[in-house]
Amino acid sequence: MVWDFKLFHITHSRYLLHDTGGADHPETPERLRVIASALAGLNGCCRLLTVEPTPPEKEWLLTVHAAEYLLRFEEVALSGRSYLGHPDNQLCYESFEIAILATGAGLTGIDLLEKEAGSRVFCSVRPPGHHAEKTVALGFCFFNNVAIAARYWQIKYARRRIAIIDFDAHHGNGIQSTFEEDPDVLYVSTHEHPTFSFPGTGYAEEIGTGAGEGTILNIPLLPGAGDAEVKNAFVEQIIPAVEKFRPEALIIAAGFDGHQLDDMSGLLFSTELYGYLGRKIAALGDRLCEGRVISILEGGYHLPSLGASVKEYCRGIMERRK
Amino acid sequence: MFVTNFMTEPVHTVGPEASLSQVKELFGQRKFRHLPIVDQSGRLIGMLTDRDLRSAYPSGLMDENEKKAYLKRFKEMKVSQIMTETVAKLTPKSTLDDALLLFDRSRVGALPVVDDQQKVVGIFSIRDLLAAYKQLFGLGEKGSALIVVQDDGKPRPLTRLTEALENRNVLFSQLIRDVLSRPDNGLGLIYVRVHTHNLSGVHAALAAAGFYAVTPEAS
Ligand SMILES: [Zn+2]
Repeated sequence: MVWDFKLFHITHSRYLLHDTGGADHPETPERLRVIASALAGLNGCCRLLTVEPTPPEKEWLLTVHAAEYLLRFEEVALSGRSYLGHPDNQLCYESFEIAILATGAGLTGIDLLEKEAGSRVFCSVRPPGHHAEKTVALGFCFFNNVAIAARYWQIKYARRRIAIIDFDAHHGNGIQSTFEEDPDVLYVSTHEHPTFSFPGTGYAEEIGTGAGEGTILNIPLLPGAGDAEVKNAFVEQIIPAVEKFRPEALIIAAGFDGHQLDDMSGLLFSTELYGYLGRKIAALGDRLCEGRVISILEGGYHLPSLGASVKEYCRGIMERRK
Repeated sequence: MFVTNFMTEPVHTVGPEASLSQVKELFGQRKFRHLPIVDQSGRLIGMLTDRDLRSAYPSGLMDENEKKAYLKRFKEMKVSQIMTETVAKLTPKSTLDDALLLFDRSRVGALPVVDDQQKVVGIFSIRDLLAAYKQLFGLGEKGSALIVVQDDGKPRPLTRLTEALENRNVLFSQLIRDVLSRPDNGLGLIYVRVHTHNLSGVHAALAAAGFYAVTPEAS
């Protein structure tokens, strides 16, 4: 395989217009600004190409969400109300359309990967997605960007077996509920223990149901856990589970709120840990699925650490291997 | 907090004259293991468990003849011969805590719930108790997080803490002040379950009220 080392950074200036009301809401446009400027610092180690996503057809949203939920969300946004469901889920007039555009980043990234094997793709989107369920907005999330990307890959490119790795500090309840009965999608998540952490799901007990039994792997980490626990989970559990599953493509729910300076969780990850995760994940994707790996931003709210961690992660996934 | 919100009703009952083989069939068909025994007007007179039934059943150690004779007798035996007559029971006014204490004391897996006339209105099992506390603790519900803060030792900590949360409209459910297992500094921990993802905002509000989140540790 010829490696043309490109990093596609998929993002859109309209993502900055999703207004979460100011005050002390942590999910701010500033998050994407710090990521963009941090990634600019990567140029030199690779070719950084910023790409705008195309807005997806609504049918792709309907692979994960219910039609009546789309209607409700659109109506709430256009009516000028300030949140959907819970005051956490602040929105503005444009939020419905921006949330759709956020799901488009994954789809555009998949198209690029299918055209240019060996590229790397990082999607900086907001609103985030992994807490969003079929008919419920939760924890700042409206549409489940990662889950929709998985369905797109399966349907458009017939990559049936998809593995999703979620290293956000919180459990991706929406990804889990989308796929818990689906034997073709593996969902692996490290997160702060649900007894303490939002949203309160992701116990090790939850392993999938029906035909999907055994395709959910939850690895709860106690508050105070750091790099050592995550590295151990990767080596001992995550890599073997993904290898055994033999995926055709890998989607990463890339959240950076486990950082020690981020007070959205009690996890104590270092910036360097994200470099480690990037290297491990890229190696896994190259070995198992010809480099078909896409990373989509979830959380990460402490701005300086968010920028530094995303940069470290992308440096990790770009690192050349023999 | 009352058992009536969580008990199983209507409840299957039989009379004292029912035969053990009838009851055996009943246990086999249905998914319960505790059967209230009632008189003609539905008043509780005893309880029968699947365990009572099993111990009345011929044991595998008997030889064939012994077994046959015993089995014949078993078929003719009536519920009243093996039921437990003095049973612990709950009333529609019993709280979950009443039930917990009664379970702790009586060593049974389920308790009948009877009204003023001793009529059986439901049955409440340890599983029902677990389900009740699971619901009250918000377990399995999506959308909350448990914050652990250090009691600062100043007066009225709970008032100040809940005020800080309510002032910024943070919905919270559990509030537990752990006064029994205090760390070395003599100050306890306070646990509060907040129903929001904006934990950053919660931490800021608590800090403004003088509270700091701590990392809970298993000892
Ligand atoms: Zn998160």
